[in-house]
Amino acid sequence: MKHFMKMVVQVWLYFYCICLWRCFKFILRKLTGRCELQRICYKNKPGAGRTLKIEASLKSSKSKLLQSSVTVHPDAIEKTIEDILALKKVNVDTNPQLAVSLQACLLQIAGYRHLTVEVEKLRREAYDSENPEHEEMLIKLWKLLKPGVPLDARVTKQWCEIGFQGDDPKTDFRGMGLLGLYNLVYFAEKDTTTALQILSDSLQPKCRDVSKEEFSKVSKTEWEMKKFDKAIGYSFAIVGINITDLAYNLLISGALKTHLYNVAPEAPSLHHFQQTFCFLMNEFHKFWIEVDPVDIMEFNRVRNKFHKRILKQLQKTDMALCPHFAASESLVNV
Amino acid sequence: MGLLSILRKLKSAPDQEVRILLLGLDNAGKTTLLKQLASEDISHITPTQGFNIKSVQSQGFKLNVWDIGGQRKIRPYWRNYFENTDVLIYVIDSADRKRFEETGQELAELLDEEKLSGVPVLIFANKQDLLTAAPASEIAEGLNLHTIRDRVWQIQSCSALTGEGVQDGMNWVCKNVNAKKK
Repeated sequence: MKHFMKMVVQVWLYFYCICLWRCFKFILRKLTGRCELQRICYKNKPGAGRTLKIEASLKSSKSKLLQSSVTVHPDAIEKTIEDILALKKVNVDTNPQLAVSLQACLLQIAGYRHLTVEVEKLRREAYDSENPEHEEMLIKLWKLLKPGVPLDARVTKQWCEIGFQGDDPKTDFRGMGLLGLYNLVYFAEKDTTTALQILSDSLQPKCRDVSKEEFSKVSKTEWEMKKFDKAIGYSFAIVGINITDLAYNLLISGALKTHLYNVAPEAPSLHHFQQTFCFLMNEFHKFWIEVDPVDIMEFNRVRNKFHKRILKQLQKTDMALCPHFAASESLVNV
Repeated sequence: MGLLSILRKLKSAPDQEVRILLLGLDNAGKTTLLKQLASEDISHITPTQGFNIKSVQSQGFKLNVWDIGGQRKIRPYWRNYFENTDVLIYVIDSADRKRFEETGQELAELLDEEKLSGVPVLIFANKQDLLTAAPASEIAEGLNLHTIRDRVWQIQSCSALTGEGVQDGMNWVCKNVNAKKK
């Protein structure tokens, strides 16, 4: 009974708050002579801060027109904005900025939605070794990561050298499909230096600083074994596929909005997503070294920790996952 | 008696905890099986670096299932997870005939491990949804399973993708949890 009452109070409070908020907006509108959309546009700089607020305001609107404007096709945006301005009785001559700002926001919102669809499509397309395009892409990845080293055969142990699990990478893409391959190729192509550095680091046996005291405790053979234990590093390609999963989750959950709205002033597109992937690979590598896990078995623990850290960073609306890496030099940080 | 006290009473009878080890070559379908057991989405699976663990309630047991990566590089770490294992589940990709020998060797090595001696073993002949999959009987013969005498064992054909056969296998697991030979 107690719980039931508590629930009733909570539901009532919820509706009360909505009502209060509506009244508040009404009073503000009368006082300032501006609607909520105008107030947001005037108060906020272009970027995630503004677009996120506009998106939330439109979604929670009572008007069907405003609600549906976040899912409108990019080509219909201009018409929608005209309708909104008419509905809100905004004088275009005295408020020329509003239409421009609103258009920028809607373009970003539509772009993000479109990107989600595009990424999902790529992810769902399974790697097919019968498809010459897929095969070509895979060979390209090899050539980029192992310049000058020829592949002995299509199915060969050599694939392990770039961090696939076995002698045929086709089974390693799994739930990430072509998206994983596209991301890896993009990284190796656009940010070759970093990719090669990370690949080389991932193959290094981990050299722990061992004090003299400890050194005397470990027998020499054991020490030698540890030194050459290649299993200590992680598998570059597999980690790439796992980080693709992480980037995909950030995108689908909407967490990447802050970043993408800040780095893509027009509309986020696939290359923005792939640049984000490159950044995440780089960051994860640094994080891995910083956390200094004992061995590869800690991968999921480290990965979850990293995921939480990125999510926290993305909560700040002025956040752009730092664009200071080669692949994103062309990016404009608004 | 209120709802809360009933709940509390239910909670006070703790389930027997069972430690299950899920092993097999890479791409055998271990993680898919794990997610299938936990009724989770299986469309976003990536190759396992390290391990995954999930707890599943089944027939009065709390099954703690450890899914360890099957990549050759990771196999040396399997032994770190042997201790206190109640049931070993070994997963085989029934359509990957080229690696039947490799998977047979890994299984034979596991069965020789001292820390796993007497532990009941369930072999899942997975991926039966594929046309090219070998039937469980063929795999059992190929792996000489009938020579296993030091423990209870079972081979179960299944498809982790569709879920077919998985529950049958888990029923066997629950029945044989306490069949560990000392």
